[in-house]
Amino acid sequence: MTWVIHILNGVAFGMLLFLLAAGLSLIYGLMKILNLTHGSFYLVGGYIGLSVVQLTGSFVLALIAAVAAIAFLGAVIERFFLRRFHLDELPQTLVTFGFLFIFSDLALWIWGGDPQMLNVPRLFQGSLPMGYYAYPYYRLFLIAVGLVVALGLWWFQERTKLGTMLRAGVDDAEIARALGINVSLLFTLIFAAGAALAALAGVLAGPVLSLYPGADFEVLIFAFVVVVIGGLGSLRGALAGALLVGILDDFGKAFFPQFALFTVFVPMAVILVLRPTGLFGRQ
Amino acid sequence: MTSKDTTPFGVTAASPENRKLPLRRWRGAAIVGAAVLLLGVSGIAVRAADPIKIGILLSLSGNFAPNGQQTLTGLKMYFDKVGNKAGGRDLQLIVEDTQSKPDTAVTKARKLVQSDGVAVLTGVVSSGEALAVNAYSRDSKTPLVLSGDAGVDELTMPGPLQNPYMVRTSQNGRSVASAAAEWAYKKGWRKVVTIGSDYAGGIDTNFSFAQTFCKLGGKVIQAEWPPVGSADFGPYLTNLDRSADGVAIFEPGADGLRLARQYSEFGLKDKLPVMDIYAGLTFESNLPQLGDATLGIYSSLFYTPMLKTPENEAFVAEFRKRMHASPNNEGPNGYVGAHAIVDAINALHDDLSDKMKFIAALRAIKFDSPKGPISLDKYGQVIQTMYIRQVQMVDGKPENVPIASYPNVDQFWPFTEADIESFKYGYKDSKNALTDCAHLLAKK
Repeated sequence: MTWVIHILNGVAFGMLLFLLAAGLSLIYGLMKILNLTHGSFYLVGGYIGLSVVQLTGSFVLALIAAVAAIAFLGAVIERFFLRRFHLDELPQTLVTFGFLFIFSDLALWIWGGDPQMLNVPRLFQGSLPMGYYAYPYYRLFLIAVGLVVALGLWWFQERTKLGTMLRAGVDDAEIARALGINVSLLFTLIFAAGAALAALAGVLAGPVLSLYPGADFEVLIFAFVVVVIGGLGSLRGALAGALLVGILDDFGKAFFPQFALFTVFVPMAVILVLRPTGLFGRQ
Repeated sequence: MTSKDTTPFGVTAASPENRKLPLRRWRGAAIVGAAVLLLGVSGIAVRAADPIKIGILLSLSGNFAPNGQQTLTGLKMYFDKVGNKAGGRDLQLIVEDTQSKPDTAVTKARKLVQSDGVAVLTGVVSSGEALAVNAYSRDSKTPLVLSGDAGVDELTMPGPLQNPYMVRTSQNGRSVASAAAEWAYKKGWRKVVTIGSDYAGGIDTNFSFAQTFCKLGGKVIQAEWPPVGSADFGPYLTNLDRSADGVAIFEPGADGLRLARQYSEFGLKDKLPVMDIYAGLTFESNLPQLGDATLGIYSSLFYTPMLKTPENEAFVAEFRKRMHASPNNEGPNGYVGAHAIVDAINALHDDLSDKMKFIAALRAIKFDSPKGPISLDKYGQVIQTMYIRQVQMVDGKPENVPIASYPNVDQFWPFTEADIESFKYGYKDSKNALTDCAHLLAKK
């Protein structure tokens, strides 16, 4: 029974990581922007969700508000700041790094420094009894959400017109422009979508990981590990990487506790040695 | 230019600029002299009316900002209570933000002492900062009253860190852990699992717990060490040895908040009772967020806002007015630190020129505080009451209700100073030996 729980645990944590990393990977895949503000989108999104839950008591409203607000914020940042440095990686990274610090201080100022936790939505409170053990319903819900988001993103990329345009833009932005695709608008949309995914992760992770100053930086590291393993820019890679990290982290901590500090980083190092582009990365 | 009209410094004496120089020099000297004279005179003239400056070092930004804010509120509450006066003189508080960094803390301490001329330093939240500021206080012979969270045991125990200019009125790790062990044993726990945040403070605390628990006759059967900042405690909770009588936990900060929720979600709350050493899970700001998840959890600390003493009830009412929240241990710590400083100044009738006398006056303090009766031992470490609390619903809100207390706990309790000195291993050699009582109690 412990094995089942360890696997469930790993998958649930992996799904959280996937939500975190998907946006980062999506943005890098199309725009080649290493978006360090991703951590802020996660944290501020989570905090907005927290405030909405406190005001209205509705988790669904919190999700919608956080996702909408952060998508808008992402669009503004892309349109007015990042666009000035198109394909210029160092200035772009510096701009996003600057925003990371600004939002970190703003969040501390607005929401204070005490760690805060969203409540688990009423529907998913409690836990599933499993013999002598028990497993929280909310984590099962997280697994389901992760699967739905993964499927949705896949469907969007492979089966919609926007997705086709996106792939065209990734493969060759110049030709895509020549074909009449509005790549600039596409960039703004994708950046907003990536930001929205981070906000979604922030609200969904709120009841498990809690929100506190510094969470933005911690989460960023997790997201990087996942995309490095999966391959930058690949959604399939982000999913595979996230699940791998989630499960290895759980088993590592449970069975090799003395290595708990780097259960997440060992797989990354191994993958980097064997396959520098990541599991699904393209070179 | 010939060599004969050149001064030894290689400057031509006949040039127009240089002819003015002696005059300028004279004028400069006169101004400096006058300034020195003025300063000296005014120094004597206004000395009696000069405020006594108190330097406050707290983390007001960075990781420990909330802790710093609470401590500052406590300090200010006491200074306000005495009208910012002691020994007949005004007190002037100078607050510096250490940004939660040890090196910044020392820079700010130096600024407070050298350019502001403070008579005493107080505050200090993290143990890292405390170690750094303690060294500065010792080297510069500046009185230091540690009134923040910094609880690292070695600071006040006989050893290399001893500083004759320092007292600590706030707390230390061992006392809280020992009270937890005493109570757990009395409650009938014999086999305990420990979970400790994997850093010096966590290892030290759980080591102290295990040592006391072993001395009483109990045993730690499993010791888990999640890294600081563990996102998910799932693996640890799944692995927990369910044959234990209870779980002793030290997990401060966001880790404690997460663990409290996850412990309950994994269905453990009703199966394995928790002793929360230092109240990381049941921290006052956590309780309203966690709802039922913390109900029934036991914790060990030297304070709870639920104490029914006149000192505490007045304190809590005023604190709530200022912060719109219940105090945790930090507000009372600041309040007690300020009380100690004011009492010491009063005892000396405002003459702080002899630092050793000031320290002696600090070490002699004795008063009732929101935390309970306070006094200091010969090493300058606070002797105070340890409380065992349990989260219960009071007026529909979860609160840390005191259910037992250990009065006058000194830093060695329940051991003696000689016992502690005689142990062969300290916490640094014991992280992987918490389950081995023979190791923990081995003598030199």
